[in-house]
Amino acid sequence: MIRLPTRMILLFVGPALLIYGLLYLLPALAAFALSLGKFDGISPPIWVGLDNYRELFSLQGPFFQSLLHNLFLIFVPGILMLVIALLFAYWIDQGLKGAGWYRVFFFFPNIVPTAATSILWLLIFSITDMGLVNSVLRYLGLEPIAFWESSNVLWTLVPVMVWSGVGFFMILFLAAMSSIPDSLYEAARIDGAGLWSQFIHVTLPLLRDTIATCWIFIIIGGLKAFDLVWIVEKEMPTSASHTMATLMYSEAFRQFRIGYGTAMSVILFIIILGVTLLSMRVYRKERLEY
Amino acid sequence: MEENRSTATENAFRIAGYLCMGVYFLLVIFPLGWILLSSMKTNQEILRSPFGLPAAIAAPSLETWSYVADKFARAWTESHFSDYLFSSVKVALGSVSLTLLLATPAAYVLARFVFRGSRFLFLLFVAGLMVPGQLVLIPIFFEYNLIGILLTHAVNAISVPLGLGTYYVSLHNSHVGIILIYVATALPFSVFVLANFMRTIPEELREAALMDGATEWTCYWQIMLPMARPGLVSVAIFNFLGVWNEYIYALTFLDDETKRTLPIGLASVSILSEYKSDYALMFAGLVITMVTIITVYVFLQRHITRGVTLGALKG
Repeated sequence: MIRLPTRMILLFVGPALLIYGLLYLLPALAAFALSLGKFDGISPPIWVGLDNYRELFSLQGPFFQSLLHNLFLIFVPGILMLVIALLFAYWIDQGLKGAGWYRVFFFFPNIVPTAATSILWLLIFSITDMGLVNSVLRYLGLEPIAFWESSNVLWTLVPVMVWSGVGFFMILFLAAMSSIPDSLYEAARIDGAGLWSQFIHVTLPLLRDTIATCWIFIIIGGLKAFDLVWIVEKEMPTSASHTMATLMYSEAFRQFRIGYGTAMSVILFIIILGVTLLSMRVYRKERLEY
Repeated sequence: MEENRSTATENAFRIAGYLCMGVYFLLVIFPLGWILLSSMKTNQEILRSPFGLPAAIAAPSLETWSYVADKFARAWTESHFSDYLFSSVKVALGSVSLTLLLATPAAYVLARFVFRGSRFLFLLFVAGLMVPGQLVLIPIFFEYNLIGILLTHAVNAISVPLGLGTYYVSLHNSHVGIILIYVATALPFSVFVLANFMRTIPEELREAALMDGATEWTCYWQIMLPMARPGLVSVAIFNFLGVWNEYIYALTFLDDETKRTLPIGLASVSILSEYKSDYALMFAGLVITMVTIITVYVFLQRHITRGVTLGALKG
């Protein structure tokens, strides 16, 4: 390697480091300090030590409830999304006609801004006469369902999240499936394996790494969940629908309990850090070769 | 016999495949068609028959079409959708280009040169990948207050003695302010991906150029940048979609209707319209938002699929 003059290093790395340090690292560190105080945004912060954290960790408290909501929004839509995406990818990989079209159209919901997705489904599941699903129910002589009632919000968000996520994971699975050599399927066929047992015994085991990657995506995304809940609850989620991020936002920017809100974001960070480190460890240990 | 059974199951497998994927295809397409048709209806039509055709299609006339045109014109101006779209374009292009401008040289140096602290600097950038934006959100709100006060004092220390009057500088409610946040947020991922990309470019090319008397500067501009183009495109698209979609920072920092980006503009107009039962306006806003993202998707579909999945495949 050739040595680079210090002036050059400063010029190339300096600006990025300045912005990143000042507007990302510094505030991230400041969060830890802010979480130890009582602060309403106007009068100077008062040192309260770990009081904010003590309040967070009560099991009956709203924070623990919101963590459970995050877990719901991770695992219920997550499992459905991955099963559907795996099936679709397998069908396409097995040579269903029109593969290009499925890719283009199924992926599309993934790039629709979450705000638009929320409004779209707010209208589709609306309780009023214009709601598509409820007008079908009425037509069938059934009682309309208040999909967006706060206590139903989490369940209603399941199909919405599946709708916007399936295409993304399908593309990932397709990429992984196309690198599985045909000879493996042929060998399985000679042994008398049908399509189903090929899927179970050849495809699935070889996709283990990809599926693990998908779960990390789903878990980290689900821990940070904010937009969907915030919008469908019209900026006022209740104790039945709050996620960690919406609770944090309400406490900090609506109730002006800034220290308390920041303490939540610190816990959120620690959970995400834990998941990331755990996943890196898993990756290092087992790398699948074929 | 054996042969027959396996073709029979294979056919069943195929038919089930076409059925399921066909249904899913409709689930993607139908909502888009529905909002397009509904956006042409009056509020009464929307409530009376959610599945029906709008008058503008069923009975086209000057009157029905001028209603549609008038409604979109009102969404565009009175509900500020033109401002939202313009703000989104400005913020997205601004933050993507500034991100690339800062991340590329940093990634280049960190990927190709070893100097004291180079490894630490790289890890420092990568560490940002594990920090969720929510941790930064609250502190940066108050950091911007402080920076605003400092800048105001600094500017007025010069402008007042010169008789240019007093100014009030703030990074709140400003596109510059939010662009800077988006850039800072995008840097860890961009530096990480670009550095990995640059490591794959053969060292010999650069050495040959240096032998021919090129400076490090021309090496960077004329050899590394062109070679890194596919990586730059993917990173740019990944960041563009991220910013285009971003909600929580825009909600916190952009207060004026004229400064809001599409996601918060759409959400705030819709929440208000729903209270007033003005569904027609919600549909019009939704169509405007969808049309922009569909346009982007149509032109960049291949790049987008690659750019978005890039984050997943790096692991």
